[in-house]
Amino acid sequence: MSAAPETIDGLLLTADGVPLKDSLQKSLRRAKVRAALLVAPPLLFLIFLFVIPIGNMLTRSVDDKLINQVLPNTFAAFESWDKVSEPDESMFEAIYQDLAGAEKTDIGKASVRMNYAKPGWRSLIKRTARKIKKMEPPYKEAFLKADDRWTENEFWLSLGIMKDKRTMGYYLNAVDRTYDFDKNVIHVDENRKVYNLLWWRTIQVSVIVTLACLLLAYPVSYLLATLPMRISNLLMICVLMPFWTSLLVRIVAWMIMLQQNGVVNDTLVAAGILSDENRLAMMYNFNGTIIVMTQILLPFMILPIFSVMKTIPPSYMKAAQNLGATPTLAFIRVYMPQTIPGIGAGCILVFIVAIGYYITPELVGGKDGRLIGNMVAFHMQRSLNWGLAAAMGTILLVVILIFYWVYDKIIGIDNMKMG
Amino acid sequence: MKLSLKLTLLASVVAVTTAAQAEVNLVSWGGAYTASQQKAYQATYKDPDSINFINYNGGLGEVRTQVESGNVTWDIVDVLPDQARTGCDEGLFEELDRSVFEKAPDGTSMDDDIMVEVPNDCVVPQIFWSYVPFYQEGTFKGEQPTTIADFFNVKKFPGKRGIHTWPNALIEMALLADGVAVKDVYKVMSSDGGIDRAFKMLDKIKDHSVFWSSGAKPLELVQSGEVAISLAYNGRIGAAVLSEGAKFVTVWDGQVLEEEWLVLVKGAPNKEEAMDFLIHASTSASQAEQAKYINYGPMRSSAFDIMKQGEPWFHNGKNIMEHMPNRPEVMARSVVANPDWWADFGDSVTERYTAWMGQ
Repeated sequence: MSAAPETIDGLLLTADGVPLKDSLQKSLRRAKVRAALLVAPPLLFLIFLFVIPIGNMLTRSVDDKLINQVLPNTFAAFESWDKVSEPDESMFEAIYQDLAGAEKTDIGKASVRMNYAKPGWRSLIKRTARKIKKMEPPYKEAFLKADDRWTENEFWLSLGIMKDKRTMGYYLNAVDRTYDFDKNVIHVDENRKVYNLLWWRTIQVSVIVTLACLLLAYPVSYLLATLPMRISNLLMICVLMPFWTSLLVRIVAWMIMLQQNGVVNDTLVAAGILSDENRLAMMYNFNGTIIVMTQILLPFMILPIFSVMKTIPPSYMKAAQNLGATPTLAFIRVYMPQTIPGIGAGCILVFIVAIGYYITPELVGGKDGRLIGNMVAFHMQRSLNWGLAAAMGTILLVVILIFYWVYDKIIGIDNMKMG
Repeated sequence: MKLSLKLTLLASVVAVTTAAQAEVNLVSWGGAYTASQQKAYQATYKDPDSINFINYNGGLGEVRTQVESGNVTWDIVDVLPDQARTGCDEGLFEELDRSVFEKAPDGTSMDDDIMVEVPNDCVVPQIFWSYVPFYQEGTFKGEQPTTIADFFNVKKFPGKRGIHTWPNALIEMALLADGVAVKDVYKVMSSDGGIDRAFKMLDKIKDHSVFWSSGAKPLELVQSGEVAISLAYNGRIGAAVLSEGAKFVTVWDGQVLEEEWLVLVKGAPNKEEAMDFLIHASTSASQAEQAKYINYGPMRSSAFDIMKQGEPWFHNGKNIMEHMPNRPEVMARSVVANPDWWADFGDSVTERYTAWMGQ
């Protein structure tokens, strides 16, 4: 049989008699499925490790549902209260019904949430909940017997902060602000202000570390790119060696070097440059964080710059000098502009890693070298205030996106080159 | 040939499954502390191989993640007093039948034998540990520091101070140093201006302070001369003195005692085996046994009696009672930390302390 296409009712047919349209569709579908299967692993990876966790983080940072589910009657009674007079029996009856009807663990979780709004709620609820089974009306009396703080209006007033199912409270806390009882935004007490300082310091450290890395990495990368292969390979190993060493080992090595009785100070004192009383404080403070983070993040700057420099033909510099430029001018006008994609990539990389850093600041930061990452870790692990941790994580994400956007505006993201 | 291959395969499968079934994961702090638990509880257990120790850095973050995701791999966790309460309140731990635990030799129930009020039904007694000041012999010429007030007095005892990066115990100590009586510490802390008063005292050492956040650090700081006198966990100081012959002097005044509990994670994969091990680990004899390897104080008073009669009790033939943080002689000048107060006000004080530290 011939392979020439035949037509039935004007339809084109393939060699085996299937309409061409169907056949094409089938093979297209097969190609699509294959493509989808090929893309599936990275896509699933992205969804499970990126989209879902970030979505979860965003939800947690504004979520205030639980408290409303546990104490519905209380909030209803709160709405009808004049907010001035002492709480009456109906309000106590409402909270009694909520506490007596709720799961013990839900009460526990709710009391933790309430404690954020007004410190003291936790023990108040806990002490009362322990006696709730044996309580009989009048409830006001029974509650006061369990804990005499129940007449303090401040506790009742603080319910106003929690009555909505969504809250911006965590975001406010993350920038040293909070709600007053009428849900107006106010500053927190002067002596509790800590987050704005840490945000500012985190950005400061990240910028300083990025610049320091750039300053140190540029000449090294230049050497790596221009020296003969034999020597540059050796140099490359020196760059990569610390990269392969455990982070903790490197940090401890710096501690030994820089502490008050460390190698550097001892040498300076022995050489008579410093007196014994004036040893430099280079560890457990801001300086320590900067020095150690710079060393740790240096390879992230060197590698992209080096890989870009490697692609610049040496003949360009020679041509520039042939045309009359001095070596310095040729370097600045011809060589440097070509390395900008590498510089951009390195700076973005170092900055993004630095802004979320926390292990190094935790270990060498001491009193004034700790960053916002340390607070996120603190609220995740210790205080279990995941709402606040999520809010800070979200802000961090936004800050990075802003810097990324600024970078795109100034230098252009297409210009970035990793090699 | 073929048959033997099959048999080996079968045997290995059986071996793997049984091993996997019996493994109880116990999560603790590592170092000398975990070692003491291994020697005192695991080695004396009927089936030592069934207990697998894991290290962690504290906090309930991981436990909460496991319980919330329903993928629980930890069975027993060694927790701090505030976590023992929060975790039980939030339903992260199993509530335990108190009647199954072994009574003291004189017939007292376990809960009555414990030296503090038992906060809930989730906890199994472990030890008391404390924050306490110490220095190296020969650091100070002439008069030596003997009180908590001396720790805060940089004029009389010049030199750097080592303190930790969170406020627990420091607030209590600052108030004690300011002359507040042991029994009034939490009353003052709850009153208006109480916390201000503590921070005023802390201001006096702020410029002379080196901050630490891991337990081994203060020993390095004092050993290397980086600081003159530092706060530390009493067990770390004791380990250095008792086992390594370090010349550290502990100032047994104004220490702050903290509880340490074992808990069973909600939905633990090996609940029954874990429970059996918890019963074993909480007997008076086991508790006393642990003090042979580390100078943290047992929670059960009956364990104390065993130790007193057995002196020298420490495994290398040294007396242990004088290193116990909760021995009767020092209790008059010690504060037992109040986790309920810290549960209420811990977050706000921590924020204030962090701000203070960075200013």
